[in-house]
Amino acid sequence: MKKLLSSVLALVMVLSLVACGQKQAATANGEKTSNKDAFELALVTDLGTIDDKSFNQGAWEGLVKYATEKGISHKYYQPQAAETNAYLETIELAIEGGAKLVVCPGFLFEEPVQLAQDKYPDVHFILLDAVPKEIKPNTMPILYQEDEAGFLAGYAAVKDGNTKLGFLGGVSVPAVVRFGFGYIQGIDAAAKELGKECEVVYNYTGQFAATPEAQALASSWYNAGTEVVFGCGGAVGNSAMSAAEGKNQQEGKFVAKVIGVDVDQYSESDTVITSAIKLLSNSVYDGITMFYDGNFPGGKVTTFNVKNNGVGAAMDHAKFETFSKVDYETLYNDLKSGKYTIFNDVAEYDPTKALTNLSNTKVTFIE
Amino acid sequence: MDLVYFLIQQTLLFMIPLLIVALGGMFSERAGVVNIALEGIMVMGAFTSIFFINLTQTYMSGNAQLLIAILIAAVSGMAFSLFHAIAAVNLKADQTISGTALNMFAPAFAVFIARIVQTVQQIEFKNTFRIVEVPVLSKIPIIGEILFRNTYITTYIGILILILSSVVLYKTKFGLRLRACGENPHAANTAGIKVELIQYAGVLISGALAGIGGLVFVVPTSTNFNATVSGYGFLAVAVLIFGQWKPKYILFASFFFGFMKALSNSYASIPFLFALNIQSNIYKMIPYIATILVLIFTSKKSSAPRASGIPFDRMQR
Repeated sequence: MKKLLSSVLALVMVLSLVACGQKQAATANGEKTSNKDAFELALVTDLGTIDDKSFNQGAWEGLVKYATEKGISHKYYQPQAAETNAYLETIELAIEGGAKLVVCPGFLFEEPVQLAQDKYPDVHFILLDAVPKEIKPNTMPILYQEDEAGFLAGYAAVKDGNTKLGFLGGVSVPAVVRFGFGYIQGIDAAAKELGKECEVVYNYTGQFAATPEAQALASSWYNAGTEVVFGCGGAVGNSAMSAAEGKNQQEGKFVAKVIGVDVDQYSESDTVITSAIKLLSNSVYDGITMFYDGNFPGGKVTTFNVKNNGVGAAMDHAKFETFSKVDYETLYNDLKSGKYTIFNDVAEYDPTKALTNLSNTKVTFIE
Repeated sequence: MDLVYFLIQQTLLFMIPLLIVALGGMFSERAGVVNIALEGIMVMGAFTSIFFINLTQTYMSGNAQLLIAILIAAVSGMAFSLFHAIAAVNLKADQTISGTALNMFAPAFAVFIARIVQTVQQIEFKNTFRIVEVPVLSKIPIIGEILFRNTYITTYIGILILILSSVVLYKTKFGLRLRACGENPHAANTAGIKVELIQYAGVLISGALAGIGGLVFVVPTSTNFNATVSGYGFLAVAVLIFGQWKPKYILFASFFFGFMKALSNSYASIPFLFALNIQSNIYKMIPYIATILVLIFTSKKSSAPRASGIPFDRMQR
């Protein structure tokens, strides 16, 4: 009986090996055919898939928009693993597939692009949220001014009638700190204009995860009367949303609100009133446009901010009571024209030490 | 006074999953099998049950859905712990290693399956399970405020599990056999107890409870499940040790851990504590320091099951 069983098992294993072999042959064929008609525009995905509602999807949408407008062939490639070698191999696969421009969204591409830009001087790269140590003329690293996005969200929240706000950050990396500093300054600017006094509770949870700790912290804030919490740092926002949902259910009315981050997070919870966003698709679209227009801004960092519509606050699904789209446009133009100056030096992450010229806002930093 | 109620309600959110999972660990260890896989089993239980909630939430909601989810979490936790039972009981493997293997496998498996099925690894769910107020009972002074307002059905399930656990462990024939297997399996064997069977039961019960604990952990604290329970499985092991493998002490230990966790995150809203200006890290450290102290002072007469972690071998006497 045992012998029979083991021989059956062996047979199954051999068959599955054969099956695998066939599959591999099939993908190789597929690649061959794709070689014939080249794909000029390529995107290599970061961690996660093309429809991750975040970095990959945003960048891909910008690429597709340009490609369909101009009728250019395009394709995305997904690395087999999240490591430099796999990323580099996938970039090479894209180049073999005929790519003239490769879009690499995410800071994990720093090293792969560093290597690829030397190896393929004729191919151009757009790199989001990361800067290689040495930037070659064929590489365009894109950074975002998160402080402006935070400013817009904070300003809007206060203009909408909120005076007690919170900032629940993830890890105090520069991007998160910039979001937070901009947020506080937006709050202060609006408070000054309205002649109100605002309070902000401010904390970095220390991780990009939804934890009971983060939930308890947000709950305690809502319990103490905080109206809006800016959940800034991956899944930390989900803890804030969970806490807000609980508070609203308890009170039976919409008293606890959340501001989302990076992309419009309205779909994740009904408590999200707006999101401080990076307009990835805009920046990729602009980068590709400049490439085809022959003035590719390679060799230096390109910063996206309100001036080139690279950051913003999500208004399409916003749940403000009085703050309208028109108000938002006015604010956006004011920020563009330089009416507000935002302090965004993140050398010091404690806002009570870094932001000294707040007039109408009291910040409580919780270590 | 509101603040006190708030603090205790928050404590319950931390405490109940720790209590359930630590009690699970207790059943396994009292049967003589170390179960360090609690973390992985929590992930597995949370994964399957949250997936169920995600798939059915368009036409189901509320506590009926949660109860089915709890059942699913228990069954999947049990199924997953079966691997540990086979390795520990049948194959007489090193129990720490097989437990670690499960811990590594579970989150990877959850991410893998979630990506295949829905391309995104986070599984979103709608929390429709919060009980704002239990009629009548919430009118009881103090207790009503603490236990019957702004709560979850899982709180009562946790308390029920605690009571059942102590009854099973101390008042039933099965409990006596379980404890015997953890202390001296050879003597138990001589007395005609099927040690392997009892150890299987112990591990499977711990699997079921840890699975439930995973779900109970995730539901009140997030709006999606991202293949992690943030180390609460390991924390439950600490609670188990702090609780000296006994239900009543485990209750106390989980309350202590939960209270310190709640305090470390809400102290800024409590005026006199905030005025003391003690960093939250201090509050966060206290439970761990206390665990170490308890271990130091009880190591001589520790009530750890004597045979815990030692594979039972009939040939050895």
